[in-house]
Amino acid sequence: MNDDVMNQLKKDYLYKLMLENKRADGRNFEEYREIEIQTDIIDKAEGSASIKLGNTYLVAGIKIQPGEPFPDTPDDGVIITNIELLPMASPIFEAGPPREDAVELARVIDRGIRESKAIDLKQLCITPGEKVWIIFIDIHVLNDGGNIMDAASLATTAALLKTKIPEKQYQLGNNNNDDKRLPIRNIPIATTATTLENTIILDPTNDEEQIAGTKLTIITNTNNTISAIQKSGREPLTPTQIQHITTLAKEQSQKLREKFLEV
Amino acid sequence: MTKPESFITNGIRIDGRKPEEIRPITIEVGVLDRADGSCYIEHGLNKVLAAVYGPREVHPRHMQKPTTAIVRFRYNMASFSVEERKRPGPDRRSVEVSKVSREALEPVIFTEYFPKSSIDVFVEVLQADAGTRTVGINAASVALADAGIPMRGLVSACAVGKVDGELVLDLMKEEDNYGEADMPLAMTQTGEITLLQMDGNLTPEEFEKAIEMAQEGCKRIYEIQRNALIERYKRDIETEEEPLETPEEEPVEVETVVENEAEEETSEEVESE
Amino acid sequence: MSEKQRIVIPGDLVSRDPARRGDGTYVRDGSLYASLYGLVNEREKIRVVPLSGKYVPTRRDVVVGFVKEVTFSNWIVDIGSPYEGLLHVSEYPRRIELDEMSAHLGIGEAVLVEVKEVDPMMKVELTMRDRRLRVIRSGRIVEISPSKVPRLIGHGGSMISLIKGASDCSIVVGQNGRVWINGKGC
Repeated sequence: MNDDVMNQLKKDYLYKLMLENKRADGRNFEEYREIEIQTDIIDKAEGSASIKLGNTYLVAGIKIQPGEPFPDTPDDGVIITNIELLPMASPIFEAGPPREDAVELARVIDRGIRESKAIDLKQLCITPGEKVWIIFIDIHVLNDGGNIMDAASLATTAALLKTKIPEKQYQLGNNNNDDKRLPIRNIPIATTATTLENTIILDPTNDEEQIAGTKLTIITNTNNTISAIQKSGREPLTPTQIQHITTLAKEQSQKLREKFLEV
Repeated sequence: MTKPESFITNGIRIDGRKPEEIRPITIEVGVLDRADGSCYIEHGLNKVLAAVYGPREVHPRHMQKPTTAIVRFRYNMASFSVEERKRPGPDRRSVEVSKVSREALEPVIFTEYFPKSSIDVFVEVLQADAGTRTVGINAASVALADAGIPMRGLVSACAVGKVDGELVLDLMKEEDNYGEADMPLAMTQTGEITLLQMDGNLTPEEFEKAIEMAQEGCKRIYEIQRNALIERYKRDIETEEEPLETPEEEPVEVETVVENEAEEETSEEVESE
Repeated sequence: MSEKQRIVIPGDLVSRDPARRGDGTYVRDGSLYASLYGLVNEREKIRVVPLSGKYVPTRRDVVVGFVKEVTFSNWIVDIGSPYEGLLHVSEYPRRIELDEMSAHLGIGEAVLVEVKEVDPMMKVELTMRDRRLRVIRSGRIVEISPSKVPRLIGHGGSMISLIKGASDCSIVVGQNGRVWINGKGC
């Protein structure tokens, strides 16, 4: 079945379930699928994590290398975030330059980390104006089971928490070892809600995403502030819906943070 | 990484292997649920995933072949798979690796069964430690079988190299970086060679021996591939609650719709007209 | 029966007698080898029954399809195969005008159709001109691997009758692995 045209019967079925307050996999509307995170899976990367969120499976790898700072922030380290929607992950992903949704995903993940000031970029300065540590966040999506956004955000944060700065490898800094952790001061977590008519569900599967109206991603921080928001999709949202989703996001991200990241 | 003083001491390589020994290999079949077939291999420090989609409709349509399926192969290295971050997307090396890997597999696929379609193979290197193209071919070959693609047999691949003037099987990273030769080879079960590349320096005698060593390596890898496929099937069969029905030889009659119900629907439709 | 379930992979020798060649096997050097990853089925012929793989249409197969495009005089139907099916307007159960095609059968709708003809270029013509064929407007469609269709039906329909009896549903198994279930619980 081509995924771009979902058959009407399946749509009707998911829709009917929704009216009965049910989902095809038996979850309630605000429930996440099972989450399995593994960290330090790529020895060649300075930090890494894989996540299975239901059937969604992806790997986040962090590489850290010395490089030049941006001219307007000469004393700050640099974050570069990239996400690859690999053609192996879904019959509808194609090889080639990043599609607009890949660019959007990467930019939202990037904003969440940057704006929450999760990484103390000042500490990543080696020589002001000349040399700083560059953090490359690369997310490879291997199987699309829906809600790539939240899975990517969790994997990225889990990987960053375990990332070490390769001071010894590059003979830089005063630590003569590679054990220095990235200076992490915040734990941003994305929660994505999807509207289905007047209903709001969390953690949509790829089937649900196809009948969904609009997605709203809220990235919240350890102290409950919000560092990034993204509405994605054509359907408009009401202020009430947005408020409701924000409340859900706060609760949900707190749960996820406790469960997986505050070790 | 710095060059070790010697690669072989008392017949033992720097990672503890003998010259004709391959690295430890684990293979898992059917690891991705969206793909039609998939396989994950850890081979030494290499971590490689392969997925197969197809046979499926060809896009763009002008690439269709009227009498056979086309095989497409995309080898891709994750940016974080190597010491120094690799820029995302294809480069000249990955284009070449994709081409020779595709050609290594094409001879065993019965492409003539699926005219006008495509069989798409995707190999993703999550961690690289020398020999990724051979690991990719091994994974792809298993993933093709898992996808139910008709094949003459599996393809197995392995590299031979030269360090300290001695031929060694299945190079690891240091041996690859500082060695004197690297020769990846892929072959079918019947011994036909479907991929052969070499860079470095070998005498004709060494070349002849290198081929033999690589063939031995491929045979060992074939056993591991075969075993992984058989084990996966066993698991599937054991989870069946009912014993497997042996399907009938003759085509099975499709269940027909309850007649009166069919009439109902038709009359409804007529009314709505 | 279960001790007969031998698992083979492509390239495994299944018989020295090439005359017993069945589906999923090929002849090389006078012997019979598996071309598929599956289970050996030994009767008069030796077949390898796969547990995965795509549906390839054959004449007279009844399949469940989804309309993916409506053209001038054809519906283009996804039949879960590398090849799309063509349902010509004249193969619809009743005579309808060309400009009304979408109103009768639109994009995304499901149909129970029969494969009328497959040419060597894999052009697949479908028909709905039979009493049991129709547009599917109720119930659910689930997908299984096409290679598992015979097992879902069972010996002479034993398995499917059992399921139908227990579930009180009407169940139609398409040869392409799409199963239409219709009943109160759907």
